[in-house]
Amino acid sequence: MGVLLLDIVTTAAILFAVASGLMIILGVMKLINFAHGAFLTIGGYAAFATTQLGWNPWLAIPFAALVGFILGLIVERVIVRPLYARPLDAILATWGLGIIIGQVITIVFGRQVQFVQSPISGAIEFLGYSYSTYRLILVALAALLAVALTALFYFTRFGLNARAVIMNEDLARGLGIDSTRVRLITFGLGAALASMAGALITPLISVDPNLGLPWLINSFMLVLVSGISIPSLIVASLILGGAQVVVSTYVSAILGGLTIVVLAAVILRIRPQGLFSG
Amino acid sequence: MVEQVQNGPAKGRRTAARRRSDLANVLKVSVAALVVLGVAPFFLDIYTINILIRALLLAALALTVDLLWGYTGILTFGQSAFFGIGAYACALVFTHWGFGAGWAILALALGILTAMAVAALVGWLAFYHGASPLYGSIVTLALTIVVTQIIYAGGRTTGSSSGLSGFPTYYWPLETWFWIAGAFLVVVTALAWLFVHSDMGRVLVAIRENENRCAYLGIPVSRIKILLLVASGAIGAIAGFGYAAFTNVVAPELAGFLLGTELLIWVALGGRGTLIGPVIGAILIDVTSSYLSGSLPFYWKLLVGILFVVVIVALPQGLMPEVTKIWRRFVPGARRKAEAPKLEPAPARGVVHGKEQPLTVRGVHRHFGSLQVLQGIDFEAKEGELLSLVGPNGAGKTTLIRCLADGYERSGGDITIFGKDLGRWPPERCVALGIGRKFQTANVFATLTVGECLRVARYRMAPPSIWTSDTTLGLPEAALRIVEETGLAQSLDTEARHLAHGQKQALELAMVLALEPRIVLLDEPTAGLTRVERERIGAILTSLTERERLSILLVEHDLDFVREISSRVIVLHQGKILLDGSVEEVVDSELVREIYAGTALNLKGDGP
Repeated sequence: MGVLLLDIVTTAAILFAVASGLMIILGVMKLINFAHGAFLTIGGYAAFATTQLGWNPWLAIPFAALVGFILGLIVERVIVRPLYARPLDAILATWGLGIIIGQVITIVFGRQVQFVQSPISGAIEFLGYSYSTYRLILVALAALLAVALTALFYFTRFGLNARAVIMNEDLARGLGIDSTRVRLITFGLGAALASMAGALITPLISVDPNLGLPWLINSFMLVLVSGISIPSLIVASLILGGAQVVVSTYVSAILGGLTIVVLAAVILRIRPQGLFSG
Repeated sequence: MVEQVQNGPAKGRRTAARRRSDLANVLKVSVAALVVLGVAPFFLDIYTINILIRALLLAALALTVDLLWGYTGILTFGQSAFFGIGAYACALVFTHWGFGAGWAILALALGILTAMAVAALVGWLAFYHGASPLYGSIVTLALTIVVTQIIYAGGRTTGSSSGLSGFPTYYWPLETWFWIAGAFLVVVTALAWLFVHSDMGRVLVAIRENENRCAYLGIPVSRIKILLLVASGAIGAIAGFGYAAFTNVVAPELAGFLLGTELLIWVALGGRGTLIGPVIGAILIDVTSSYLSGSLPFYWKLLVGILFVVVIVALPQGLMPEVTKIWRRFVPGARRKAEAPKLEPAPARGVVHGKEQPLTVRGVHRHFGSLQVLQGIDFEAKEGELLSLVGPNGAGKTTLIRCLADGYERSGGDITIFGKDLGRWPPERCVALGIGRKFQTANVFATLTVGECLRVARYRMAPPSIWTSDTTLGLPEAALRIVEETGLAQSLDTEARHLAHGQKQALELAMVLALEPRIVLLDEPTAGLTRVERERIGAILTSLTERERLSILLVEHDLDFVREISSRVIVLHQGKILLDGSVEEVVDSELVREIYAGTALNLKGDGP
C-alpha cells in the first residue's frame, strides 16, 4: 500500500514535470505544441551528451534546459509566429518540426537505444519502505518546479505580462504589453521545460529518437483536463497518474498505458471545460 | 403559386440535366484513369507494381482524410486505425477461422462493421455541440494508440508486436492485385468527387467555415460529422483489408499514429480540399519513400518533414492549387465558374395559427461565476409582434438572445416555444422549434457563394442531395424579397467573403428567414447599413409581422429605428427588465432617457 502511494506520487511528479511546458505554451499562446515530444527527446539526448562528455550527470538538467530554450526561441520565430492565426495548422507545423528533430537526432546519434548515467542510484528507506532514491528526488524537483513557475507568473514583470496575455491578449496589447515578446519567451520557456523534463526522465528510461512520443499524448490529456493552472495540473497529475498506477499494478501494464488517454477523453466528454473550471 | 406550378416540371428537367453532365465528366475521367491503370502493369517492373499497389490503397485512405480534414475541417490523426482494423479483420479470420470466398466476405464485412462501430463511438466522443476542434483531433489521436495497444495486448491471437504473417490468401498475379487496388481507388475517388460537388458537399464546407452558424441554421452538425467519420472508417477498413489480403503481412504499425500523421502530410502537400491533390500526393510520396528508404532513409524523411513544414507555413493550400493555376494559364477557359442557381419561391407551408403563445419566458437567469448577467426575466411574445429589446451596453440583451436560441445557455428558468419546453436543447433543435437567430456581426460562409450560403440555410426545409446539385433554389417569400431588394440576386455566384459589409448583413438575414422561422431573433441586424438599406429592411420586418404573423425580437440601439417599426419595447438594464410596454410608453419615458443619458456620461468617463 505504501509503495503504491509512493508510486502514485512519483508518477504524478513525473507527469507534472513533463506536462508543465505544454501547459504554459497552451495557456499563453493558445497553441498545442506538437513538437513537445521532440523537445523531450532533445532533453534526453542532451543528458546522453552530458554522459558522453563525462560531465557531472546533474549538469544534464540545466544543460538540457538551455538547449531547449535556445531551440524554442528559434522555432517560435521561424515556424510558430507565422501561424498564429491558424491554430490547427500550427499543430501540424509543430508536428512536422517534431519529425525534423527526430530525423536530425537519428542522423547524428543513430537510431539505436542509448542509456544515460543516473545522477544517483540505489534506494533509500523512506517512511519505512525501501524506495528508489532518484524517483523521490524527482518529487522534490517537481515541487521545486511548481514553486518556481508560480513565482515566475506571480512575482515577476514577465509573469504579470504573461497573465495579462492569457486573460485578454488584445487588451494586453492595447495597454502596451509587447505580446510578441511574451509569446517568444513563453515558447522558449515551454521548450526549455520540456527539454529539462526529458533530461529528468532519462535515467528511468532508455533514450531513443522517439522517446518523447508516448509522453506527448498523456501530456495533452493532462493539460486539457486540468486547464491552465499549476495547482490544477498537480491535482490532475495525481488523479490520472494515480489511476494509471492502480490499473498497471492490479490489471495489466498495457491497459495502464491507456488509462490516462481513455479516462481523460471520457472526462472531457462529460466536462468539456476540464475538471476544475466553470 | 402559379409560378410554382410552372416551375415544377421544369425544375425536374433541369436537375436531371445537371446530374447527367457532372456524372458524365466524372465517368470520362474515371474511364481514362482506369485505362491508364489497366495498361500500367505492362510497362512497370515488379518492384514498382508491388509498391504501387500499397500506394493506391493508401491513397484511398488519404482521400478519406481529405474528406474529413480538407473539406469538413476535422483534423484527424486516426484514419490509420480503420485501415488497421480492416487489415486485422482479414488476417485474424484467415489465420484462425478459415480461408475461402465465404470467409473472405465475412472478414471484409467484419472489418467494415467494426470500423463503422468504432467510428461511431469516436464520433460520439469527439463531436458534440460546443466541442473544441482540438479535442476532436486529440480523440482521433488517442484512437490510434488505443487500437495499437489492443493489438499488442492480443498476445498470440494478434501476434502482438510482430503481427501476423503467412496466413493463406489469394496468390493472384500481381497485375490482378494492381487492377483491384486501382479500380477501388478510382471508384472511391469518383464517388467522393460527386459527393463533395453535391449540395451536401457544400454543407461540409459550410461546417468547416463556420460550424456555429451551421448549428444555428438547424443543421445537425454533430450527426453529419459522425456519419462522415463512419463512412470514412468503412472505406479505410476496405483499403486495409485489401492491403492485408495482398501483402499477407499485418503489423500493429498499420493502425498506428505515425501512419495517421503521414496521411496528413500527404494530404497537406497534395492540397487539402482538392481530392485529386491528396491522391497524387499519397502515391508520389509513398512510392518515392519506398525507393529511397533503402538508400537514404533518414535524409528522405527529413526532407519530407522540412517540405511539410514549409508548405504548412507558406503554402497552406498545398501544391495542387499551384498546379491548377499553371494549368489555367495555359489552357484558357479551363476555369470552372460557380453557376448561379435560378431563384424561385418555395412552396408556402400552411402555418396553423394556433392558440399557443409563440414565446413565454419565466424566471430566466444567467450568471457567469458570481456575475449576474440576467435575473428574473419574465415576458411573452405574441404572434405578429415586433418586440424591441433596448438598453445600454452590458444590459444583457445579447445574453438573453443567446438563452433563447440555445437551451444550454441559461443558468435557470423556463422558456416555452409554442407550448413546447425549450429544455436543454442544442441550437439545431431550437431551430426545429421555430427559432431563427441572426448574429450581431455578419456571420456567413466566407468561401461559399451567396447562392450556396442560402441553399445551406435551406438544409432543413429542402434536404440537400448527396450526389447532385440543384440548379434552382427555392426560397420563402421573405428571404426572396431581401435577396432581390438588396441586390444579392445579382451576386448569387459571388463568394460571400467578397461582399460588402451591408450585403453580408442582408445575406445573413436572408439565410435566417430561409429557415422559415416563427420567431426571429435579430441582434442589431442593421448595424453598419446605410439609411436606405435600413429602411428597406425595416419595411420587410414590419411586413413579416403583419402578413405572416411572425414574432420578431430585435436588439437595437437606434431608438428612432425602434420607434418606427416596433409594436412593443422591453428595456433591459443591469440584467433586469425595467420596462415593458408600447413604443410611446417606453421610448418617451423619463427613465429610458435617464438610463441612456447616464450610460452615455459613464461611457465618456470610462471609455478607452
